Amino acid sequence: MSTLVERSPAPQAPMEPERHGPVAWLTTTDHKKIGIMYCVTAFAFFLVGGALADTMRTELAEPGRQLVSTQTYNTLFTIHGTVMIFLFVAPFGSGLANYLIPLQVGAPDMAFPRLNALSYWFFAGGGLLVLLSGFASAGGGAAMGWTAYTPLSEARMSPGVGPDLWILGIALVAVATLLTGVNILTTVFLLRAPGMTMWRLPIFTWNMVVTALLGLVAFPPAVAAFALLLIDRRLGGHAFDPFGGGDPVIYQHLFWFLGHPEVYILILPTFGVVTEIIPVFSRKPLFGYTGFVLATLAIGALSTGVWAHHMFTTGAVDNPFFSAMSLLIAVPTGIKFFNWIGSMWQGKIRMAVPMLFSMGFLLNFLIGGVTGVMLASPPIDFQVADSYFLVAHFHYTMMGGAVFGLFAAIYFWHPKMTGRMLSERLGRVVFALLFLGFNLTFWPQFILGMRGMPRRIVDYAGGLGFDTPNLVSSVGAGVLTLGVLVFLYDLWASRRHPVAAGDDPWGGYSLEWATSSPPPERNFTSLPRIRSERPAYDMRHPGAPR
Amino acid sequence: MRTISRLLWVISGFGLGVGTLYWFLTYEATGAVLLWFFGLMPMIVALWMWRRGLVSAHLAEDEPEADPSASAGEVVGSFPLMSAWPIIAVLGVVMAGASLVYGLILLAPGIALLGYAIYGLMRESRH
Repeated sequence: MSTLVERSPAPQAPMEPERHGPVAWLTTTDHKKIGIMYCVTAFAFFLVGGALADTMRTELAEPGRQLVSTQTYNTLFTIHGTVMIFLFVAPFGSGLANYLIPLQVGAPDMAFPRLNALSYWFFAGGGLLVLLSGFASAGGGAAMGWTAYTPLSEARMSPGVGPDLWILGIALVAVATLLTGVNILTTVFLLRAPGMTMWRLPIFTWNMVVTALLGLVAFPPAVAAFALLLIDRRLGGHAFDPFGGGDPVIYQHLFWFLGHPEVYILILPTFGVVTEIIPVFSRKPLFGYTGFVLATLAIGALSTGVWAHHMFTTGAVDNPFFSAMSLLIAVPTGIKFFNWIGSMWQGKIRMAVPMLFSMGFLLNFLIGGVTGVMLASPPIDFQVADSYFLVAHFHYTMMGGAVFGLFAAIYFWHPKMTGRMLSERLGRVVFALLFLGFNLTFWPQFILGMRGMPRRIVDYAGGLGFDTPNLVSSVGAGVLTLGVLVFLYDLWASRRHPVAAGDDPWGGYSLEWATSSPPPERNFTSLPRIRSERPAYDMRHPGAPR
Repeated sequence: MRTISRLLWVISGFGLGVGTLYWFLTYEATGAVLLWFFGLMPMIVALWMWRRGLVSAHLAEDEPEADPSASAGEVVGSFPLMSAWPIIAVLGVVMAGASLVYGLILLAPGIALLGYAIYGLMRESRH
């Protein structure tokens, strides 16, 4: 059943009593519930991926130790990478987008609520298939790395149903991303509240617009590649099989045309999150709103032209072109750092937990970004290709950057989603453990890479300079895990001993802070006049200069 | 809508431009085609907006001084409260897909379930 929703400035009574229970959640088309389901499911996948990472770090803590077999180790890093990239960071961003975008633009729901539910279930179903592909598949789990390079992923080299389930699972997740992208763009383009011009959109929403566009551009070629790979494996095709006249390098082009924009699909939502948080906790407007939006658009556009820097060492791509494009993308990213620093400059900074995580994001992502510039240079890339240097760089951008940003988002918007505060004291402990654990885990991996330790190996010989950094890295992984456990306790404690958040515990700027916590069905009982990119602030401070 | 239209045209121009530059620098077909299609995709939407006259449409959301009370009573859209069909549709897709791996016996029930869900969605969206 659908209901017609009208714009009305007067308070409305709820249209129907809110439904509770499992069936209400399974059949919901409400963007807020779907957003929460996305976030919870993605976080559950994060716990699985984290457990796999802990197993790998335990295996590598010292040389000669054999906790798992070589093949099992291959499955571990395959599923770990896939889960963290496709099932945690990206869908968590989709979850935040689902929850926040209608609230931030003043809409009653996403433009296509059923399509929204369909997206979630595609993601959940695809995610389960990916997990099955590693651990419950007959004849061998998926063990070809999260990139599934051919010919390694062809049936001859990777027999069994595991890789097939992996392909199907990722294809379903890709469809979910495409549908979510369509929904986000339509919602932002057509369902904004009166006065919410495109140049007043909250930065998180702008970043999700660019993320959605990137998803629509980048995923279809990858889905085509996965479909061809499945045909190769199951129906006797030879698209990527060199023994049958196929070309494995084309697979790499198609995959990385997704793979590198995917990095920005993962990080842009986080850029949006910290850009919402930093001005609020600095008590200042965002420094350089227009420049920030243009920089986001530039990052999105340039990210489609850098894919083959992952293929420098193939010798089959034009290295100067991709090196130049990859170096160029550092410029708009640098502009964002100036925006963030400028927003804090001379502000009344309050180091609450969301702000702490945002600071952690800035520091970690800076290291990830600078090492990214190093890797954009082919001579350095050739030197450290397939070494732990890449693992460290990637995790500094994705975990130190994206995941810290997502924790900032949880601490910032949890009060809005649930009406309950998370503990400030426990939050600081979580931040300290995660920041310390993260840097202990991944900084030594730069050293390992520089010393020549290859990635994706189950063991290493002692006395090569790998022992101590590996041990430190494994201890760091333990500290990280402890941080996640304290966070889970914090979530549990907030349910057990709830502290009411109020509608706007932080003095937020964007429209979601102008409604109740949690928001009512259809989000708003009345909308304020929108006169700037800070409507909630304007509502609370009617005489303040914009 | 003018901002959105400009955005789409700029993206389109960037994709087509970089694709062409890439082609003349490398003569590598896969990447050039990918970039050209990246340029064409937003152009399709931009052309559709232009044909429908949406570019110059005056919408309250694009009006900086718009007052929400002036749009009171205007229908925003029709939004369902719940639907079981999405989860049924995905079950059908998963079954049909799994038939490639576990045997064609799953294909027929998978497609039937998907078809049933699509029919259900169509019926539901009429109300």
